[in-house]
Amino acid sequence: MKTIRKVLALVLALCIVLSLAACTGGKDPDPTKTPDASNPPANPTEEGNEPADEVELLWWAPPTFIQDADDPAGTYEQKLVDEFNASHPGITVRVETIDFTTASDKITTAIESGTAADILFDAPGRIIEYGKNGKLVDLGDMFTDEFKKDVGNDDLLTSCQGNGTYYMYPISASPFYMAINEKMWTDSGAMEFVNLEGNRAWTTEDFEKAIEKLTAAGYNPGVLFCGGQGGDQGTRAFIANLYDGSVADGKEYTFNSEAMIQGLTKAQEWIDKGWLGNGVQYNGGQSIELFVAGTTAYEFCWGTSAAGNNAATMEANGVTPISLPFPSADGKPVLEYLVNGFCVFDNGDDAKAEAAKTFIKWLCDNKENVTRTGAFPVLQSMGNLYPGDAEKELLVEFTKMYGPYYNTMDGFANMRAQWFDMLQKITGGGDVTELANAAVEASNAGMAG
Amino acid sequence: MAKTPAQRNSHALKRRETVVAYLFMLPALFFFVAFVILPMITGVVTSLFNYTMKNPVAAENFIGLKNYIDLFQDKTFLRAMLNTLILVVVTVPAVTLFSLWVSSAIYQMREGVRSFFRCVFYLPVVTGTVAVVVVWKWMFDGYSGILNYVLSSLGLIGKNVMWLGDTRFAIWCIILIMFTTYVGQPIVLYVAALGNVDQSLVEAAQVDGATDLQVFWKIKWPQVMPTTLYIVVITTINTFQCFSLIQLLTSGGPEGTTNTVMYYLYTNAFQLYKYGYANSMGVVLAIIIAILSAIQFKVMSKDVSY
Amino acid sequence: MKKKKITPYKVISLIILCVVAFTFVFPFYWIITGAFKSQSVAIALPPQWFPTEPTMANFEKLFKNPAWQWMLNTVLMALGSMLLVCGTAALCGYALAKKRFYGQSIVFGLIICAMALPKQVVLVPLVRMMASLRLRWLYLLLGVIAAAVIAVIVVTAIKNSYNWLTAEARRDWKVKDYLFHLLAVAVAVVAVVYLVKLPGLLSGTPEKTPMTDTLWAVILPTVGWPFGVFLMKQFSETIPNEILEAARIDGAGEVNTFITVVCPIIKPGFGALAIFTFINTWNDYFLQLIMLQSRANLTISLGIATLQAEFATNYGLMMAGAALGAVPIVAIFLIFQKFFTQGITMGAVKG
Repeated sequence: MKTIRKVLALVLALCIVLSLAACTGGKDPDPTKTPDASNPPANPTEEGNEPADEVELLWWAPPTFIQDADDPAGTYEQKLVDEFNASHPGITVRVETIDFTTASDKITTAIESGTAADILFDAPGRIIEYGKNGKLVDLGDMFTDEFKKDVGNDDLLTSCQGNGTYYMYPISASPFYMAINEKMWTDSGAMEFVNLEGNRAWTTEDFEKAIEKLTAAGYNPGVLFCGGQGGDQGTRAFIANLYDGSVADGKEYTFNSEAMIQGLTKAQEWIDKGWLGNGVQYNGGQSIELFVAGTTAYEFCWGTSAAGNNAATMEANGVTPISLPFPSADGKPVLEYLVNGFCVFDNGDDAKAEAAKTFIKWLCDNKENVTRTGAFPVLQSMGNLYPGDAEKELLVEFTKMYGPYYNTMDGFANMRAQWFDMLQKITGGGDVTELANAAVEASNAGMAG
Repeated sequence: MAKTPAQRNSHALKRRETVVAYLFMLPALFFFVAFVILPMITGVVTSLFNYTMKNPVAAENFIGLKNYIDLFQDKTFLRAMLNTLILVVVTVPAVTLFSLWVSSAIYQMREGVRSFFRCVFYLPVVTGTVAVVVVWKWMFDGYSGILNYVLSSLGLIGKNVMWLGDTRFAIWCIILIMFTTYVGQPIVLYVAALGNVDQSLVEAAQVDGATDLQVFWKIKWPQVMPTTLYIVVITTINTFQCFSLIQLLTSGGPEGTTNTVMYYLYTNAFQLYKYGYANSMGVVLAIIIAILSAIQFKVMSKDVSY
Repeated sequence: MKKKKITPYKVISLIILCVVAFTFVFPFYWIITGAFKSQSVAIALPPQWFPTEPTMANFEKLFKNPAWQWMLNTVLMALGSMLLVCGTAALCGYALAKKRFYGQSIVFGLIICAMALPKQVVLVPLVRMMASLRLRWLYLLLGVIAAAVIAVIVVTAIKNSYNWLTAEARRDWKVKDYLFHLLAVAVAVVAVVYLVKLPGLLSGTPEKTPMTDTLWAVILPTVGWPFGVFLMKQFSETIPNEILEAARIDGAGEVNTFITVVCPIIKPGFGALAIFTFINTWNDYFLQLIMLQSRANLTISLGIATLQAEFATNYGLMMAGAALGAVPIVAIFLIFQKFFTQGITMGAVKG
């Protein structure tokens, strides 16, 4: 036994020495190599002597830009960053691709633990929420009078603000609308109720007749999705337009107004009859999946990115979508819209904030980058970026239907949850007025917190 | 070493054992304290603050136990707690009994067959929750799901059932899927534990003419008791903390019938940015689990005979 | 071998097993075949039960990205956690089960409470901690830990080969045992050295680099999570006290007793724990999502998530990723199978 212990002790000692060597091995090369590789002897100390204007920025990019052919996510972003870094000495931007579904978890944790990136490419919903909570840099100096004049749309400018401060620098915007399956609607005879002229505005009455025919012909109706998160703007715009109601009046939420309750009651009636799909188990994304697979006949959560990202799938499944505005009582639909834009996180470093603004401006002022988002430029001076594209020309008509932007109101996140919860209960057969009143009350109460 | 146990001073012995024991535990305790206990204390402390994205953890935002008081007046939370308890009450016994049954059925089979079944029941764990849930979700889908397809072709249902969107069925679908993703580990553990049962005792009992059932209850059951305890406690904890299933399948709907405490905690923290409130939920959950575990230990340790 | 009777009970249970097994196999089957389907086929109606036109497009698309790097990261992360957890948990679990010491119930109570607390509560403090920790300190710490882990494994290996030299142990020795231990040592050394060097190699200035965005940020909390300790404690409970007492009377030291007496008995526990840790780490998507950032540092599941477009889930791609991820785990499972079927029975030890 004694010999065993001696051997053990020896081996143990050997191991410790070995592994320590291994560890320092990992550490060693850097102090010796970094000075060789980077600027020769000029900076002996680590941080103090580094040139003050050397700024490194981190950019979080969800897959908003359309990539070339089969390029992996983030290829175009990387190309942009390389180009910028080469032309702007002193600023180095690093890009990290993030995904839409989990982005908010990641961003929230990063903000709270002080590890947020410097630049985020997103939409107002989340950005303005961060801004109102004091996590973002005020971008007011980027909104020059000249810029504002070029945008020329107060609603759009409002969408970039939280409590009167500009937090998001917009690059492009596009409407949310609905889509129908051409084959199903033609076969069932529902197409006769659809207006394919001009801006394609149509009425609630026509829509009702159409969905009755669709159901009679045995096609699955589109679903009034209200599960999970996301895509909720589609259902809100659909309900609101049915009887020309509005979700909010700019100060508080008003979806318990008479017109809204009328719309919700109608939807409940249609669901009961099977003319409109029960969407309790679907979120916006899943609802789109049903539509592009050719399962359902129409879709409320449609837009340029949904159409673009699913083009190949729809072609393979023989689905031809037709873009339409939401049906409305008076034939004058009001649409919601998406604004793509950038925000800068307040990481307590003015140099970084300035550099980030330079990058954002450089990126947004480029026409190609605008077309890469598949949306329309916010700057009128950029003109028509999609000449000869019939679909885009139709969408330009849709952009004229933009309503007031309420996604940056206080308590918006809370309202979204209330909205879906209410729709679920209405789908389940609950009392519409009671539910709408309760949801509005809770939403307005949530504005304070 | 020459002394017999009776001669030792029990305190001196315990002191010596204490030193040895802590040396043995040192590596694990180091990681435990550094990466679990310390953040945990911070997390628990923040539950006493009105901690949101806007309000940092600072003296002026200290609100004492208000989060906890609000919690018990929050109807959504109470509903979520009820749902969670239903999940636990159904899932834990189901998982434990089923895995024990499967293990005792397969552990005496030929090696090949045993490996096959163990692998099969472990597959959902191996494949990863996200991918498995995607398939399940498709199976339960109201329009294109295979379940409706099969049932309607058999003539059992007239029109499509929205399994995950129906207040009557949704929670049972969750329980079923949860069951398939939870039984894998217990089966592996039970097979291992049953393989470790003292064969000489089993043979002795069989010579004495004991039936299979008697052998099981008198000899095997007590010997796999520590494993059972582990399985019951871990399954309880996992069920209480069930989150990704809910997020991927129903997001708490329809009408809050599948909302669990963990999912509600998640929405509060990550969508409404009410961190302090969310953390207080976590603490309440932990206290409930800890009390339940203590009861489980008390009840089940009685049977262990060593 | 004793004869086995075929009873009706056995037949019925086999039938039930097969039926239930089908429910468990189907999702897996669907994922594997889904990996070879194009997007439109994957969501087509009626479903295509077997891919009639199998395509490699999903894998091709996957490997346009640094998918091998993601795989390597995932394997390293899972292996690193597995080795560390097995080593620390076995020691701790044994002490908790078989030693009587001051503060025992407090330590164990804390462990249970820690497991009871949802991870989401500790998330933000954890990220904050990782962001403030510098790799420099980690290297120091790792020096000690790596030494301990390698030491335990090497010592076991050396001891086994040493035993081989002594006559009485010779008959127990098998070539594959020796090879296995050698392999374990090699894997441990390579993994530890690579992990320690990896963050330094990826970024130019390891001293200043915060620990977030390195694989360590995922590994260390996993090692701290005490479910392994709990599992090993439960397995150690089954060690008969007489055996430990006998070893003590024979004059074996504490470490010796642990390696020669305790480890063989809790071997099935080791097997199970190794697999559980490997898979838990592999599947702990949330922690990876929060901690890892750079494209080169992602894990496979995280990497695949970044490939999904808004409003369009590519199921084929997702299935391909899941299939790819499942292969190493199945391999690990098959390798470690022998561990939990070959636990040294107590009868044999007592004899």
